[in-house]
Amino acid sequence: MKAIGKLLLSLSVLGMFVLCQPRQADAQDGYSTYEELTNQLQDLESSYSSYANLQSLTTTLGDRKVWMLTLGSGDVKNHPAVAVIGGAKGSHLLGSELALKFAENLLNQTSQDSIQQLLESTTFYVVPRLNPDAAEQLFADLKYARDGNAKATDDDRDGPVNEDGFEDLNGDGLITMMRVKDQAGKWMPYSNDERVMVKADINDGQRGSYQYYSEGRDNDQDGKYNEDGEGGVNLNKNFTYDYPNFTPGAGEHMASEKENRALMNFLYEKGKNVFAVMSFGPANNLSKPVKFNKGGVEKRVISSWFKEDVALNKYISKMYKDELSLKDAPSAPAQPGDLFQWAYFHYGRFSFSTPGWWTPVVTDSADEKQSFKNNKAEYLAWADQHDVDAFVEWTEVDHPDFPNKKVEVGGIKPGYMLNPPYEKVDSLAQQHTDFITKLAEDHPDVKLINFETESAGDNLTRISVDVYNDGVFPTASKLGERNRWVRKVKLSLTLGDGLSLVSGDRMRMIDSIAGDDDVKASWLVRGDGDFTIEAGAPITGFSTIEQTIN
Amino acid sequence: MKNLTQLFTAFLAIGLLIGGLSTSARAQSGDGFFPAIGTPPNPEVDARWDHYYNYKGITDLTKELAEAHPDLIKRQSIGQSVNGREIWALTVTNFQNGNPDNKPGIYIDGNIHSNEIQGAEMSLYTAWYLAETFGDIDYITNLLDQKVFYIVPTINPDAREHYMQEPNTPHTPRSGLKPVDDDGDGRYDEDGFDDLDGNGHITLMRRKTDRGNYRVDPKYPNKMNRVEDDEFGNYEILGYEGKDNDGDGEVNEDRVGYYDPNRDWAWNWQPDYIQRGAYKYPFSLPENRAVADFVLDHPNIAAAQSYHNSGGMILRGPGAREDVDTYNDQDVEVYNQLGNKGEKLLPGYDYLVVYKDLYSVFGGELDWFYGGRGIFTFSNELWTSYLMFNEEENSSEDRYQFNKNLLFGSAFVDWKEYDHPTYGKIEIGGFKKNFGRAHPGFLLEEDAHRNMAFTIYHAYQTPHLVIDEIDEKDLGGGLTQVTAVVTNTRIIPTHASQDLKNNIERPDYISIDGANVQAGMIVKNRDMNQTVEQKHSPAKLEVDNIPGMESVVVRWIISNNDDYTVTVNSAKGGVASKSK
Repeated sequence: MKAIGKLLLSLSVLGMFVLCQPRQADAQDGYSTYEELTNQLQDLESSYSSYANLQSLTTTLGDRKVWMLTLGSGDVKNHPAVAVIGGAKGSHLLGSELALKFAENLLNQTSQDSIQQLLESTTFYVVPRLNPDAAEQLFADLKYARDGNAKATDDDRDGPVNEDGFEDLNGDGLITMMRVKDQAGKWMPYSNDERVMVKADINDGQRGSYQYYSEGRDNDQDGKYNEDGEGGVNLNKNFTYDYPNFTPGAGEHMASEKENRALMNFLYEKGKNVFAVMSFGPANNLSKPVKFNKGGVEKRVISSWFKEDVALNKYISKMYKDELSLKDAPSAPAQPGDLFQWAYFHYGRFSFSTPGWWTPVVTDSADEKQSFKNNKAEYLAWADQHDVDAFVEWTEVDHPDFPNKKVEVGGIKPGYMLNPPYEKVDSLAQQHTDFITKLAEDHPDVKLINFETESAGDNLTRISVDVYNDGVFPTASKLGERNRWVRKVKLSLTLGDGLSLVSGDRMRMIDSIAGDDDVKASWLVRGDGDFTIEAGAPITGFSTIEQTIN
Repeated sequence: MKNLTQLFTAFLAIGLLIGGLSTSARAQSGDGFFPAIGTPPNPEVDARWDHYYNYKGITDLTKELAEAHPDLIKRQSIGQSVNGREIWALTVTNFQNGNPDNKPGIYIDGNIHSNEIQGAEMSLYTAWYLAETFGDIDYITNLLDQKVFYIVPTINPDAREHYMQEPNTPHTPRSGLKPVDDDGDGRYDEDGFDDLDGNGHITLMRRKTDRGNYRVDPKYPNKMNRVEDDEFGNYEILGYEGKDNDGDGEVNEDRVGYYDPNRDWAWNWQPDYIQRGAYKYPFSLPENRAVADFVLDHPNIAAAQSYHNSGGMILRGPGAREDVDTYNDQDVEVYNQLGNKGEKLLPGYDYLVVYKDLYSVFGGELDWFYGGRGIFTFSNELWTSYLMFNEEENSSEDRYQFNKNLLFGSAFVDWKEYDHPTYGKIEIGGFKKNFGRAHPGFLLEEDAHRNMAFTIYHAYQTPHLVIDEIDEKDLGGGLTQVTAVVTNTRIIPTHASQDLKNNIERPDYISIDGANVQAGMIVKNRDMNQTVEQKHSPAKLEVDNIPGMESVVVRWIISNNDDYTVTVNSAKGGVASKSK
């Protein structure tokens, strides 16, 4: 099997050379460029104008729009909403594609009654590509996995800006890695797959024989390679929770970037109806829910999900795993300054995140699951099995910084481990669409039930009602209950002429109502006339009762 | 020794006479006064320092200052407030001497909390005083030759105006004017104060009751005293003047603003549910964003002062207990040297640390300046009850005595009956909004001068770099060793240790021009000849820091011996050159 894989690999390498096109016709082809993304979004809006509305949240420094497609119908601002966000990490093209195709799939199903009903009661804010400037690098003549936007940054904080970027030493249009034969080097080829470089472990008797760098020159001659190239702030490091001050790509301070601010402005100010943020990114709390940490909720700066919210995460995680055919996700923790954690800890909403794809299980000839200690080796084994031309073979180059040393360039192609071959995307997108649709159906849903009026003496009437949450999601996450950006459920009684309030609250704010739970209310009124009871919040939708006492 | 002192005194006297003569032409031209020492005798701009400037006053005065002193003051707007007012900034320096961007700078602002108004006057006084004494007082002349002051009198102009023009207490609005739904009912700013007696001041409401907990003070009839826990009084206090405007059963619960602009800064920022008053994210308020952008554009700012009131404090960070480790020993030592001097210059003021002496708070302005930019920053809490009678200890009576004997009762709105729609017969009265936090006019100028003197000391102590020595040694074979010594003659280092820890600002460059450089190195120990070579670009050596009151030594090996120039170029320390 391995031999065949290698044979295929070398054939495809050969093929590449023979074709010798600037943009390689390979398995990855099909992901949307910015222009294609824009066209698709505009087409969706014009084809489904009654359900879709396209707007730009901001224009980036690279002069691209951060698009947001609002899906829904009727009073979309006051229907419970899910924000579906992709591409906060620029090189994660799959995330963009899954968000885009979610919108496309949903709109294509609007002939079905159930989808129509969903869109009449639920809103989706779809931001497919938060960092279009970074994503475009994987479509450029020189391709590399770029997560920084177009802001000019001094990544190594030495004064000059963008003074040491990559160079394409082997002329293949891709930035991969570079290894330099050197007795003082700390790296060595991995024993199970010699294409992969690993750090030598002297405690295991291993000695390194290579230096290992990304592909390029040390332009500023400071001994570091490609440490300050073009590519500014990684938006997925620039949100306000657990912000990594002064680390490369994090920006000069939290929330420094237009794209982050535009998204946060929209969600805080207009997205009052959002009950869940579904983001496609590195973190994964759908395959494996977050863990509750008691100490983390007792500190001044809260650093753990609340117990009740973790319980809901478990339920949603099970829902996700039921929908997704891809199993055995590797653990993918949250990252400092990321969108996923901001959405829970600062925005106060349920936050779900998944990379959408990971290296699937590799089986041996006996169909047994193979286990790997190295994720690159595991990926390459899978790629070999599935004829994915993912590796640039190590080839020697002349390197002016190492005149007397053997330097080779090679490695896994940029973006390949994050983004599967495009042919996989349709089915992934359908599964994720089904999942998000299902999640949305569980939205908080406030209803007025058990409404009664009874005489309470001469000219006195008692009005009673239960404010019931018919959804699975609570009307606020436990964290959201403390957060002023999460609106409480407002219950109000409005009396017409002839009625006056004797007892009870004219207006009452309810912190939260759990799924399938209720809050009881009653009033004592005097006289005859019309009255209205209204309950709800943008996150739950509104429910109203109008009655007359004669 | 005594003789020497006498001689010195005589010199001083002559100096004073000469100094006096230089301005005497104007001062004694029949205007009917004689100069007081330390005050510009005949200023170009005749500003008053016994009242407060509203927005128009600030706009006019800053314009006048810039027009009267075009070589010393330039005015610009650094941005606009929520309601579209310009945020005026004055750059004060000798524009005829060097590029202001290359001079170590101090940034000064006031009034971030809109009711804490006198920071603007302290700031304006500083700009005025510097410009009006330049040329007359050598110390100030040298200071403006070497340093640059960036002065923003108010960074909350909308709500400053609201404080002055609308009914308020001494403590409001504090916020800015961006509408916020304080009580979460979906309506914005719908239940603010009501100026029931129509005098522009929001004072207190009291109601007579046999089961009350207050009594009138026998000596000062305006003063209300709480009775003992086991007694009943004959009054209850109902809170600040107001009504339940939105019918929700609460009074004054959704006033203008809400947020606290001093919880909006990008160092250890935390959201509102952790740090009450935070808005959406750091710099989500346009006024603060304007300041942040200005500071990011001016890496030469090495010192900062942000004026607040009140309590007589010279505050440094950390604001939050969680940030204790951010402020490490070397920097605290610098803060202490400056802060202790401040205590001397400002009687009644104490040098304190926010998190332990005041309260522990996230996202404050001084923490971003220091933690995020490595700028040594103080917040002075202006006005202290000490200034009433120059006494450390004050009793609760003193305010009433001060009002009676020094302000002749003008600080108080006497209790008057009022018919309230909800509370019935009540009485309204209390201290006016411009008493208790703002200085009375007759004390304002003195405190402005003293606080300015502290910021001048602070500005003076920003790094000042000199090339002390260029030493040559012939190594033979056509090679010469050039050793240069660069000294920072002030307390503040070119890089705070917080800066060094995080590489906030670029290194200082010490370069040699006009020489054929073969090698360059930083000399760690000149006596022991311990050096560290810099292999790349040896003509432009990178030095991490030039500490306060210390020197760094660098060395080049050059192969010609023509004229050359050594230049030190530091973001916060300025530029200095010396030619061979």
